[in-house]
Amino acid sequence: MTSQEMAASNSNPGTLAGWVESRVRLVVEQASYAYSASAPSAPNFTLGPVTFSARQREIVGILGPNASGKSTLLSVIAGEVKALSGRVELDGKRSADLSLRDRAQRIAIVHQESNLLFPLRVWQYVLQGRYPYGRRLRFENEADCLMAENALAQVGAEHLTDRRMDELSGGERQRVVLARALAQQPQLLLLDEPTRYLDIGGKVELMRRLRRLSEENRYTAVVVTHELNLAAEFFDAVVLLQGGKCVGAGKPQDVYRRELLEEVFKTQLEVEKTATGRPRVILRGQEENDHEDKEAQSDSADAKSESGGTDAPVS
Amino acid sequence: MRPLTPKRITWICVGLAAILFVIVVFSLEVGASPISVTDVVKTLLRGAAAMFTGNWGTIPPSNKLIVFGLRLPRVALAVLVGAALSVSGASFQALLRNPLADPYVLGVSSGAALGAIFSLAWFPHFPWTMQLLAFVGALLTIAAVYFLGRRGGQLDSTTLLLAGIVAASFLSAIIMFLMTTLSGRDLRGMAFWLMGDLATPPALRLRFLFIVLLIAIGAIYTTASDLNLILTGEREAHHLGVNVARVKLVVYVGASLLTGLAVSVSGAIGYVGLLIPHVMRMFFGSDYRLLIPASALGGAIALALADTLARTIVAPVELPVGAMTAAIGAPVFIYLLRRRLT
Amino acid sequence: MRRATALNLFGAAMLLCGANSSSFALAQNAQERPKQPVRRVIDEVGRSVDVPAQVNRIVTLAPNLAEIIYALGAEDHLVGVSEYTDHPPAAKEKPSIGMPVNPSLEAIVGAKPDLVLATTSINLVKTVDTLARLGVPAYTTDPHTIEGTLRSITDIGDVIGSSHEATALVANLQARLDALQTKLKSEKPVRVLFVVWEQPLQSVGDNTFIADALHWAGAESAIHTKQNWPTISLEEVVKLNPDYIVYAENQMGDDSNGSSLPAGIRPAIARHLDELRNQPVWRDLSAVREGHIAIVDDEIQVPAPGLIDSIEQLARELHPAVFSPQSVSHVSSVPRTWHSIPSEAVSCVR
Repeated sequence: MTSQEMAASNSNPGTLAGWVESRVRLVVEQASYAYSASAPSAPNFTLGPVTFSARQREIVGILGPNASGKSTLLSVIAGEVKALSGRVELDGKRSADLSLRDRAQRIAIVHQESNLLFPLRVWQYVLQGRYPYGRRLRFENEADCLMAENALAQVGAEHLTDRRMDELSGGERQRVVLARALAQQPQLLLLDEPTRYLDIGGKVELMRRLRRLSEENRYTAVVVTHELNLAAEFFDAVVLLQGGKCVGAGKPQDVYRRELLEEVFKTQLEVEKTATGRPRVILRGQEENDHEDKEAQSDSADAKSESGGTDAPVS
Repeated sequence: MRPLTPKRITWICVGLAAILFVIVVFSLEVGASPISVTDVVKTLLRGAAAMFTGNWGTIPPSNKLIVFGLRLPRVALAVLVGAALSVSGASFQALLRNPLADPYVLGVSSGAALGAIFSLAWFPHFPWTMQLLAFVGALLTIAAVYFLGRRGGQLDSTTLLLAGIVAASFLSAIIMFLMTTLSGRDLRGMAFWLMGDLATPPALRLRFLFIVLLIAIGAIYTTASDLNLILTGEREAHHLGVNVARVKLVVYVGASLLTGLAVSVSGAIGYVGLLIPHVMRMFFGSDYRLLIPASALGGAIALALADTLARTIVAPVELPVGAMTAAIGAPVFIYLLRRRLT
Repeated sequence: MRRATALNLFGAAMLLCGANSSSFALAQNAQERPKQPVRRVIDEVGRSVDVPAQVNRIVTLAPNLAEIIYALGAEDHLVGVSEYTDHPPAAKEKPSIGMPVNPSLEAIVGAKPDLVLATTSINLVKTVDTLARLGVPAYTTDPHTIEGTLRSITDIGDVIGSSHEATALVANLQARLDALQTKLKSEKPVRVLFVVWEQPLQSVGDNTFIADALHWAGAESAIHTKQNWPTISLEEVVKLNPDYIVYAENQMGDDSNGSSLPAGIRPAIARHLDELRNQPVWRDLSAVREGHIAIVDDEIQVPAPGLIDSIEQLARELHPAVFSPQSVSHVSSVPRTWHSIPSEAVSCVR
């Protein structure tokens, strides 16, 4: 779904329905966290304060170089750890204060697929997503099976229902893991680098699916990723972290500024706009840099005699 | 999609229980003085009836002593120990996330063995001190390994496994030291303890031990759904709402108690706790809501059969039951290994 | 919690049966046999045992006990023996009840014994406990020394109703021991390394039977320790430099036709000597250089009458000068006499 179509499908904010739908779901305000290797010594990593919010059907990306605190931020949002200051609220409730069960019914974390010790069938795995609903020792009923089937259908993996988990390919397993998270019927979906082991086709497919799912089921999704361009294309907002500090939060076109990105990622970049108005980040190669410098030098030498020329060199 | 239902569990358990019953009748029939199957069944039924009416006179005397005095207690003990070891093995395999885990991997049997040696060395003539001290040794080891196996306030699988292995080695070293420096007489009883022995009736009444068994298995069973989730990853399970720390504690204590119980009354019988869960998984899948009762029954069947074979194959010489379980268990283990590789 | 109710019911039935069985068995056992007068005796480990007045069926749980029964002339009452009971050879015909360490309780009970004999030398406490629980009288002997063995023979004789034969046998054996002591009175004890096992090298401690037997044979072990079967290093042996090296071997099997034992021993000694002379360190020991190797029948480890024969044989090997030549030719401990000997016959036969 392109952003144009998405923009068109949003309800008019002026109507009551639109007002309901635009209510903020996830609020992260001045949330900060710090941890250290051993308790008595000073914290050797501090995160935050970070502020952003997200509505239903919105996808927020968390970006930044390695070790900038992206996964920590995700843990704070998930309520795994309690923010040291500020608040993290989901539908008005602090996520860290929720009981394990309540949290599991609202927040679903999509993990990297882990090594399963004993062979498990896909449907058994997805059915586990129903655990937060019901008594501790419970047997799944028809409603549960329906939800699980539904979840598998939503990720386009019904044909994998009876297969064994260890027989699936990377992309198939990713879908199944997502299906289990969907079976939890969450309000908030959290994903930590979901495209890490996928090829470019798989990455795009996942993003499209995420977009569609959050649209259809009104999820709010927060995705930690390294994929700058996919984030720019598919997400509604991004939070840019550097060394634990939030250096930018907002729409991609507002956050992707060339100087900021070059500063954060410490590499030569170029930012341009696509047809839909979304930014796109492009690498600048070394030879082109040298070439441009030389050109710039010779340009300035002949500046008096030259006129016109292109505005911005496209490299 | 065919989710597990209580009905399916019940049917499978009934089937396994039927097999167990057949094995038990077989065990009661064979021996130094064989009694025919019909006589066994008649004796059992009359005995069951006599428990209510109090009239024991209808059963022929020789059958009474042999069946009720000797064979039945022995088979009952095999059922108890087999069930305890299998459930314990299955639980440790989940807790430690390791398919090679068995009931003894956390050192409980070494602690019990040390207790047994103590009793042989210093209280040789008191009846049943061996079982009591073995159980005390087991309890102390459970506590020690628990405290060693914690990380960040809760049990950590890797740390626990390492702590258990270290404890087992250390205790084994002490045992070897004692076995060489103490007088020779004690060695014999110890060797037998190490090979497993179901011939000695336990110190406490069997009915009490069965109650303890059912309580421990029941406690572990309440975490069966949780274990299924934990097997896909502890963090994942936590995010699905499982109280991972609590589940690990319950399973650790329950399974260790089962091991301690089994080992105190019968010595260290090997292979049962390791293999029966794998065999049951092969037949019934690895859902712990079914695996736990299936392992209990499967272990009972296996050990009852092994013990009967051990005491009849070269009668009147009785082979140690641990040798029998190893002789049958090792080929089964090899078969399972090969199956996994193909 | 969903467990198969069938399993629960079955388990309950099983455990109730099993749990009731032992008390039941005790009650029933009394009903099974015709009411016999019993007397309460205290056995050698301090347990009280209710022994029937008439002991007609005996089961022994160790080879030495069977040997004693034969020596007391009560072998017709012997209805069950442990495996490897082959002293005397006739014992091999008796029905077996399993190994001494883990006998088949069923076989024991099936033999309907009036009395079961056990010994602390090899049987386990729990075997005797279980038999007691089942209502089977089990008497345990506890011989630690040669004198203790004689006492055990007396005790066993009392318990099975052969006191007369026991007294005679013990008197005979005691007389032989006394005679031996007299002969060796003026001799210095020979320092001996008693080799129980070669790889690793194991000898005997002070509290063992063998140590006591060595004393009676006019020898003493060069090793002194509280451990029963100490493993020793070759260095230790060199330091101690024993006068004799003694091995224990089973002689009975080879000499069943009754040929004189020395003929059987000499080749065995020669074999050992050859081996030792080929090994470094060993060959430099004075005992090896002088050929002072002795072999003794392994009955020396068994608390039974045959023990005395072994002691005498060892004494002759270690103190050849003391024993007159005609005694040497009559020296054979084979054939063993398995019946009690009137005391006046002692000097002739031996």
